[in-house]
Amino acid sequence: MTFDAHERIHHELKRVGVKLAATLPDDWVGPLIRRIDVDPDIRHVPVAREAEAVTVATGAFFAGVKSVAVIGNTGLLTCTGELATLNLRHQIPVFCIVSMRGSYDDHRIWQEVQGRRTIALLEAYDFPYHVVDTPDECGSIPAAFEASRLQKRPYILFVTRRLLKGRIWE
Amino acid sequence: MKTRDAMKVIAAHRGDAVGVCALGMASNEWWQATKSEDSFYVHGAMGFAASFALGFALSAPNVPVLLLNSDGSLCMNLGCLLAEAQQAPANLKHFVVDNGVYQTVSAVPMVNRGITDYEGLARAAGIPRACTVETVAELEAKIPEIMASPGPYFTVLRVEAEPSYLEVPPNDYEGAEIKYRFGRAMERRLGVKIFGPSGY
Repeated sequence: MTFDAHERIHHELKRVGVKLAATLPDDWVGPLIRRIDVDPDIRHVPVAREAEAVTVATGAFFAGVKSVAVIGNTGLLTCTGELATLNLRHQIPVFCIVSMRGSYDDHRIWQEVQGRRTIALLEAYDFPYHVVDTPDECGSIPAAFEASRLQKRPYILFVTRRLLKGRIWE
Repeated sequence: MKTRDAMKVIAAHRGDAVGVCALGMASNEWWQATKSEDSFYVHGAMGFAASFALGFALSAPNVPVLLLNSDGSLCMNLGCLLAEAQQAPANLKHFVVDNGVYQTVSAVPMVNRGITDYEGLARAAGIPRACTVETVAELEAKIPEIMASPGPYFTVLRVEAEPSYLEVPPNDYEGAEIKYRFGRAMERRLGVKIFGPSGY
C-alpha cells in the first residue's frame, strides 16, 4: 500500500485532538490542507497571510481548543515578527506545520534562501523545531505538540520533501 | 467623539462579552473603563488582534467577543476582513477606532487619510452588517442594535485625533501575566482546561 504522508499527518493531528486549523498553502502542504478542509471535525480557517494563520491558532488556544497553523516555509519567514511580539511576548504556544523548503532535494531556485537561513533565524529567536522526514517519524507529532505547549512559544514542525514526495533519487 | 467616550459607551453595553484589544490607546481606554481581566490586551503583532479574536470567537461560539481594533491595525491586516466574512462568527463584533493618525507614535497621519472608507471595505469583503458612527449620541443610539445583532458586525468609530500622545495608563500587568489572567478567566468562564496539570 502506498504511504500517503498527508493522510498520516492528518491522522496524527486528529490523534492530538486538533479542532482548528488555520492555513495558507504552498505546493507541498496543499494536499494536507485539502484533507483538513473536508474534515467535519476540524474547523478550517483559510487565510490570506501566514501571520493570520498563527494568530488565529493562538486565539483558539484561549478557548481550550487545540489548534495548528499549516503554512509554507516562505510564509514562516514572513511572520516571525508576529510570532515574536505576540507568542514570545506573552509566552503563548502555537504549533506550526511548515514545509521545509530549500532542502538539498528541493530544486526551486526561489527557495534557496529559505533553505539556508530559516534554521538560523529560528535559533536566533529561540523557536524550537522538530523535523519529520520519514513515515515512522510521523508518530512523533503528538509528542511534538505536547512539547510546543511546554515550551510556551512558537514551535515549528517541519515536514520534508522526502516525507511528502518521496526520495528524489527514485 | 473622544476614544475614551466611545470606549465608555461600549463598556456600558458590554454585558458578559470578552474583549480583545489591539495594542494602542483604545486598549488603554478599555482597561480604564472596564478593569477587565477577561479581556486580552495584545502587546504586539500589530494588525493581528483581529485574527486572534477570530480564532477565539470561532473556538468559543457561545461567548460574545468584542474586538477593539484601530485604523492603523486594520490597515496592517486588511485580509482579516476576508477571513472574518468567510467564517462569519455570529458572536464577533469588530470595532475600529478611526482617528486618522498613528496616535501612539506622535499622531503621524494615516496612509490615505480621509479617503479610505473602512465600512465600505468591510461590506465589500462580505460583511453586510457594518456602520460608521461619528458622535457619542450616534453610538448610544446604535449600540443596542450592534450588540443584539448576529455578527460579524463591523463598526467604525470616528474619533478625534489628539494633539499628542495621551498618557492613559495601560493595564498594570504585562506579558505572560496577561496570558495567565485571561486564560484562567476563560477556564472559569468556559469550563475548559487551557493549562494542563503542571500549569503550562
